[in-house]
Amino acid sequence: MEEIQLIALFLFVLFLFLGTGVWVGLALLGVAFFGIEMFTARPAGDTMITTIWSSSSSWTLTALPLFIWMGEILFRTRLSEDMFRGLSPWMARLPGGLVHTNIVGCTIFAAVSGSSAATLTTVGKMSIPELRKRNYPETLVIGTLAGAATLGLMIPPSLTLIVYGVTINESITKLFMAGILPGLFLAFLFMGYVALYSKFSSKFAPADEPKLTFAEKVRNSRFLIPVLVLIAVVIGSMYMGVATATEAAAFGVVGSLILAASQKSLNWETFSQSLMGATRTSAMIALILAGASFLSLSMGFTGLPRGLADLIASLDLSRFELLMVLLVFYIILGCFLDGISSVVLTMAVVEPMIRQAGIDLIWFGIFIVVVVEMAQITPPIGFNLFVLQGMTHHEMNFIAKAAIPMFLIMVVMVFVLIFVPDLATYLPDNMRQGPGGGV
Amino acid sequence: EKWDMPMAYSGSNFHSATGAEFAKCITTGTGGAIEVVTHPSGSLFKGGDIKRAIQTGQAPIGERLLSGHQNENAVFGVDSIPFLATSFDDAGKLWKAAKPTMEKILADQNLVLLYSVPWPPQGLYFKKEVNSVADMKGIKFRSYNNATARLAELTGMLPVTIEAAEISQAFATGVAESMVSSGSTGYDRKVWESLTHFYEVDAWLPRNYIMVNKDVWNDTSDANKNVIRGCAELAEYAGTWRAVEYTQFTLNGLKAGGMTVGPAGDALTGELKDIGATMTEEWLKAAGPDGAAIIESYKSMQ
Amino acid sequence: MIPALKKVRSFLDMIYLASGIVASLFLIAILTLILVQMLARWTGEVFPGAPDYAGYCMAAASFFAFAHALNRGAHIRVSILINAVGPKMRRILETWCFAIGAGLAWYFAYYAVKATYWSWKFHEVSQGQDATAIWIPQLAMVIGSVIFAIALLDHLIHVLFSGDHRITTDIVEQSHGE
Ligand code: NA
Ligand code: NA
Repeated sequence: MEEIQLIALFLFVLFLFLGTGVWVGLALLGVAFFGIEMFTARPAGDTMITTIWSSSSSWTLTALPLFIWMGEILFRTRLSEDMFRGLSPWMARLPGGLVHTNIVGCTIFAAVSGSSAATLTTVGKMSIPELRKRNYPETLVIGTLAGAATLGLMIPPSLTLIVYGVTINESITKLFMAGILPGLFLAFLFMGYVALYSKFSSKFAPADEPKLTFAEKVRNSRFLIPVLVLIAVVIGSMYMGVATATEAAAFGVVGSLILAASQKSLNWETFSQSLMGATRTSAMIALILAGASFLSLSMGFTGLPRGLADLIASLDLSRFELLMVLLVFYIILGCFLDGISSVVLTMAVVEPMIRQAGIDLIWFGIFIVVVVEMAQITPPIGFNLFVLQGMTHHEMNFIAKAAIPMFLIMVVMVFVLIFVPDLATYLPDNMRQGPGGGV
Repeated sequence: EKWDMPMAYSGSNFHSATGAEFAKCITTGTGGAIEVVTHPSGSLFKGGDIKRAIQTGQAPIGERLLSGHQNENAVFGVDSIPFLATSFDDAGKLWKAAKPTMEKILADQNLVLLYSVPWPPQGLYFKKEVNSVADMKGIKFRSYNNATARLAELTGMLPVTIEAAEISQAFATGVAESMVSSGSTGYDRKVWESLTHFYEVDAWLPRNYIMVNKDVWNDTSDANKNVIRGCAELAEYAGTWRAVEYTQFTLNGLKAGGMTVGPAGDALTGELKDIGATMTEEWLKAAGPDGAAIIESYKSMQ
Repeated sequence: MIPALKKVRSFLDMIYLASGIVASLFLIAILTLILVQMLARWTGEVFPGAPDYAGYCMAAASFFAFAHALNRGAHIRVSILINAVGPKMRRILETWCFAIGAGLAWYFAYYAVKATYWSWKFHEVSQGQDATAIWIPQLAMVIGSVIFAIALLDHLIHVLFSGDHRITTDIVEQSHGE
């Protein structure tokens, strides 16, 4: 019961701050302050600085501004339109037309980026204006983008999977492998939805695309080459062991600068604009992450997340029931916390439950990622919603509504994972063993 | 009264299990007057923040790797001098020799030392058979502090800095090819996916320690202090026993994973002992009279 | 506006922009550090502490940019209510938001100064290979958060006396979270 009261209070303060328009990062900071002052004997100010300094000066964060910068450079050059031009001839004749460029673009970019919102920004910046120009339904454009961008978390590299793997002592390579097929399958589900929407919705009436011959399409695809080269460099450097994720991000920046220069779209103006843009954007995220890290600490002190997990553990559920309860639990948590925080905060209690129930931990990592992906698009705190809000100037509730079908598709994805666990476990179980061999 | 206890390592780690029992012991022993709540996996404070958090009263009690503080004072690194104390017995003696000094240094920092449990002995991981220091030349070696970087330098390996979180990936991608760590690290990270040999050189046995804020400690009743001391003694004993058991368990795990596990050859062992002597000298220079006193006291126990 | 106030105005605006530019230089420093570390590794050289330095640059890039990002409308907020109400209510809401924001930011800045002062007094040293005296990188947190707090207070005063804040939302280039 104590938990319920705590939740109610936390939620009240959070809604009060967020609802009245206090900046998200500061609102999280305020709620965290409130939680510590009200419910614990700990010194709020000192703990705040300790945890925020530690999280904001973390080396692992440095991949973040670099990947954002890379996106900013690509955005300010011709490269992003080129990618759209290269993909669109192939997508134009699919049912649903160019909306598929959202999904395919996100899938491709997810393979270079460990984050969902970076994927969203890069793809969205090029696809939103083009799709609007062609009169595609705005809700479909925004919704698919919000949903497909979450693939950034599942298709390797993935920040969430790294955090999960470290917390639970599982092989990160295996987790990365496990994310590939479910990621592609989820992209396929999104595309299926777009196809159905285009057939059954009266709102779907985009402008006609010029018909191209096969040869012309192939010729247009040359525009894809720079992007693919860049992806090959970034991914390749990681998988060949030349670079870590952060270093691959640095490659990405340098690579995109070189490509921009070779296209003659690199000048002082685009360079400084991309740099300042990346600085502002990463500061925006840094403020939210700072607030979130303090909120995590505050919740840790109040014992709320653990209390909830204990409550679930005490119910003595079957494996399926447990997964359903966890699904609901993480969806609720995901409304208010970022994915990484909810993984770190709860894993101490959830991990033993999962092990006890005999659930494969690699598989569960992918389960968690889908659920965390959902959290990206659920209000009031969903990073993809914030990002889209900034990009499109739509209201939060419009974007959240547009994303509901994608949310439901991800729920379907959870059940697919439960009933076809091989989707996640096939690749890691059959991947090429290292020289050590063994299991 | 609720004592939040931040711990850096995952809940399933034996240090965390020991800490959880220690917490339970206090809660029961004090009749609930002091309820200790552990927060493993760095879920409250990250490893590097724990000592300062306790010093400044942000958390009353917590656990940290002792040698994590050796930048601050070289004496904290006494348990991590390569090839000085190379068995559980010797590590126990070294700790006995160092304990009074540690207690004093920590007391000056507003901390009270409760107990300390060693990690399993540190061995060398490689991607190939290694029979001498010459075989190590040019290998990319994971270093995580100045001592391990120095070890790389003295063995002719190339130190590369890899965060703990990235160990598996670094080995899988060849960014690193070797490391010095306990069998448990390799077992937890499933390094047999990329590495082939583990040499039980028992280079050193690093320790975790549990500390409590001095002001909090002084405000605790004598009866409860006695309960806590008793629980600490039990925990140190149980934790050390776990470390011994766990050592064998993880070595078996590495073998089952397909790795070649065994002691280093005589030639390699001899060369490593020399490197150990060099590093002990260097440590003594950095640690000053406090350090010299510890080593002297330790040698006298042999 | 009286000339003295005008001077304060342009001085503050200059500070916000300058700190934003400093932040962007730290972003370049992150890139440089990572590239140099990679080069070092390939050539068999050692660059101890590079990840730690990159981490400090990350913190500096964030804290120095907070105020600039605020002025350019980059920080995210839920503006459903603010956009829905009339001008009078809007002014009250904005006052509340900037008061809360400025209050929290000054609270943060105060404790950032305190923590950094103690790091300096205790000679606190980084636990990484860099072994940096930690108050040096923490200075970035102090300066950045004080400027951020000043900026929020600046807007609050503006809302109180002239009815609206001075945040200009150009094409907000926001992205990523996780
Ligand atoms: Na990804
Ligand atoms: Na959410």
